[in-house]
Amino acid sequence: MENEMEHPGFFTEEDPLIEDQMPDGSFTIKIIGIGGAGTNAVDRIKLEDLEQVHLTAIDTDSQVLSASPVEETFLLGRTVTNGKSTGGSVSKGQLAAEADSKALKEIVRGVDLVFIVAGLGGGTGSGAAPVLAELAREQGSLVISFNALPFKREGASRSDKAAKALALLQKHCHAVISLPNDVIFEQVDESATLMEAFATADKWIKLGVHSIWSMLFNTGLINVDFSALQSALAEPGGKTIFGTGYGKGENALEAAIKDLESCPLLHLPDTGFIKDTDQMILNLTGGPDMTMATINKAMQVIHEKFGCKNSIIMGASIDGSFYKQLRITIMGTIRGTPITKGYAPVPAASIPPNEPVAPPIRPAESFKTEPVKQTVRTAQEEFAFSRQEQNRGCFERTQQNLYEGVDLDIPTYLRRGIKISRN
Amino acid sequence: MSRSKIIGAVEIGTSKVVVLVAEFSDGRSMNIIGSGQSTNSGMKKGEIVDIRAVSDCAHAAMNAAEKDAGERIEQVYLSMSGSHLYGFRNSGATAITGSESIVTRNDVSRAVDNAKGKALETGNVYIHHIRSGFLLDGKLVENPVGREGSHLEVQYWHVTADEQKVKDQIMVINGFGLEVNDIVISSLASGSVVASEAEKRQGVLVVDIGKGVTDFVLYKKKRVVQTGVIPVGGDHVTNDLSLGLRVKSKLAESLKKRSARAIIEKEDRVKKVQLVGDLSIGDGFHSQLTVNKITHARLEELFIILKNRLGSSLTRQNLPCGVILTGGVSRTPLIADLAEVTLDVPVSIAESPEWVRHSELQEPEYATVLGLLYNALHDQRDSAHASQQHGRKNWLSKVTGIFG
Repeated sequence: MENEMEHPGFFTEEDPLIEDQMPDGSFTIKIIGIGGAGTNAVDRIKLEDLEQVHLTAIDTDSQVLSASPVEETFLLGRTVTNGKSTGGSVSKGQLAAEADSKALKEIVRGVDLVFIVAGLGGGTGSGAAPVLAELAREQGSLVISFNALPFKREGASRSDKAAKALALLQKHCHAVISLPNDVIFEQVDESATLMEAFATADKWIKLGVHSIWSMLFNTGLINVDFSALQSALAEPGGKTIFGTGYGKGENALEAAIKDLESCPLLHLPDTGFIKDTDQMILNLTGGPDMTMATINKAMQVIHEKFGCKNSIIMGASIDGSFYKQLRITIMGTIRGTPITKGYAPVPAASIPPNEPVAPPIRPAESFKTEPVKQTVRTAQEEFAFSRQEQNRGCFERTQQNLYEGVDLDIPTYLRRGIKISRN
Repeated sequence: MSRSKIIGAVEIGTSKVVVLVAEFSDGRSMNIIGSGQSTNSGMKKGEIVDIRAVSDCAHAAMNAAEKDAGERIEQVYLSMSGSHLYGFRNSGATAITGSESIVTRNDVSRAVDNAKGKALETGNVYIHHIRSGFLLDGKLVENPVGREGSHLEVQYWHVTADEQKVKDQIMVINGFGLEVNDIVISSLASGSVVASEAEKRQGVLVVDIGKGVTDFVLYKKKRVVQTGVIPVGGDHVTNDLSLGLRVKSKLAESLKKRSARAIIEKEDRVKKVQLVGDLSIGDGFHSQLTVNKITHARLEELFIILKNRLGSSLTRQNLPCGVILTGGVSRTPLIADLAEVTLDVPVSIAESPEWVRHSELQEPEYATVLGLLYNALHDQRDSAHASQQHGRKNWLSKVTGIFG
């Protein structure tokens, strides 16, 4: 707890939007790993020191914590679990976090930027991470969470838990970046050891933290500062897309853009390769040899590829060790999804017709702004029909099949309004 | 010259992966020596949604085909389909520069480069450049070299594809330890076996309605003039039935195969069809009328889309040989009648060419892979005797179709 005393909360008292009040380095960043997977990830990040970043490991399992090399550890829910793990129970994890909410508040007090790293699907991560996120946000931190999602093969109950936790996190965090294990491990070749495989997963978290960190701390040609980040992520809720690409050599820019396009995190099933984000932060990290022309070109390409409804905040920072190398990082947010107009819902045809599919992860709506809509939507989701995507049957999770403005995957008889009788 | 090659033709389709293995000898004739198939669970609408599943299915089918043939595949020809394929016409022109206005090889290659040179959007690659003919001073000529004129134009039908999707499919083959020798789009492959030379000369449209997508190719004067993909196939009929009758996909599929018809008839009103067909628990009766209404609506729409895509090319004058339907959905009863009414041209169901002797290979599912082998044979022969010209009849008579 001493760390916080050395870095007194600055941000909460002052107006955060006035840049001049914020001399470089006067704010604190904390990466908090919560649960088994989160703690492991933080342990590995520890090995690569980042300036001005504090690491914290939180778990309900005392054994895990005692092995952690991280400077600050906290055993969660001593009163609930007696220092043993939650055993995969989300409610226990949540109880533990609520019981220790005072201590958790203390951990995030005065921290300006909180990264929450958790593996969802278990007990502690799924139960406690949303609580921690809520606490951190309430006291004024900017909260970004990185979540590993379980393998599909681990079964429906785990992915169910993960989906619920993710929805909660989306409600409380300013940005939620999910890293499905299925996607991450596709990159790992078969012969890789378990350690290597998990290192790949952690690499993505590290990359994410690192790129945001370098955006804020490295000398910038064009600065993205904390307030810019904050205003871009002003409002919790919604989906976040995150991707990063790296290139080196003569054609570093082209290589980086190519790498970015193939970034697995931009190809997730729930967010997909989204073109129109509401807000986007684009950061380029290059060596001292980076030119304005490079930046302009990158900007142009990214704008074409990803587009953005409102604004792109762009940053370019210099890393002394990045000669002839370039890293592009994009982070975009998508606010509440507009309800598309379509055919009148046909409840009769909406029985899920075939193989069981995991429910798509839906974004939590920001219910502050439109409370009425929120209630309507929940009601619909509970009944699981009268939404027009459901009329697509086995094509439900595929791309729309548009022809002259109509989705060909929706049955022709529905679109033509042909009456059919069943018996 | 007598060295033989073992060629594998692979079609990664939405319903199944089909592999044929053939032995090419002399680069002039082939024997089909093995086949393999496996049900594909990783694709929707002709595109890969689960690459692991697709890989497993493809490898299983290739394994089975190799085992059947008793030989290892040496080279692979792959077919490609999906709505990411895009075809367009682009022509290149050049002025004849020689002193006597005689067209030289250089003039031709300049015009050809011109036509092929159109830059694509990033992420797209060319799959085929199909030459539709030369125009010398506005007149169609077969071979312009050595003729007199001032302006040479060459017309091409280009097919492009999404690079990533092509790479994915190639990766599946690479995963089996083989390189892909060439890629042929499905419509061209099936078109080349389903339509006869005479039909291609007079003008014919081949429509391959598969499980995921519908491929078509239009021939005129022995040349390919247009190709295309419509992302609607048999799966859509099944899905419509499944939603409309509120039954599971699998049951809808079997119901479709047993009872769905493309045209609504008077007696449908009173007819009932069984859902499962064995009166077991969960079996029930549905009205034939309902089933046919749903099927009819979907297929009619498909033909209307096709008609719109082809526009003015689709008339009785332009297509004296009409339309040939192939692919799994072409088995639907009365589909030819529906197509004929909707498209207003004569329609027939594809018959396998006479050189395919084995009854199993005459099924419509094999049209694409047979076409791949046909193209492979041409490809091999072209590379073997680049300068020699052979009539197409030559190799046809040599194909023996010994199988199994």
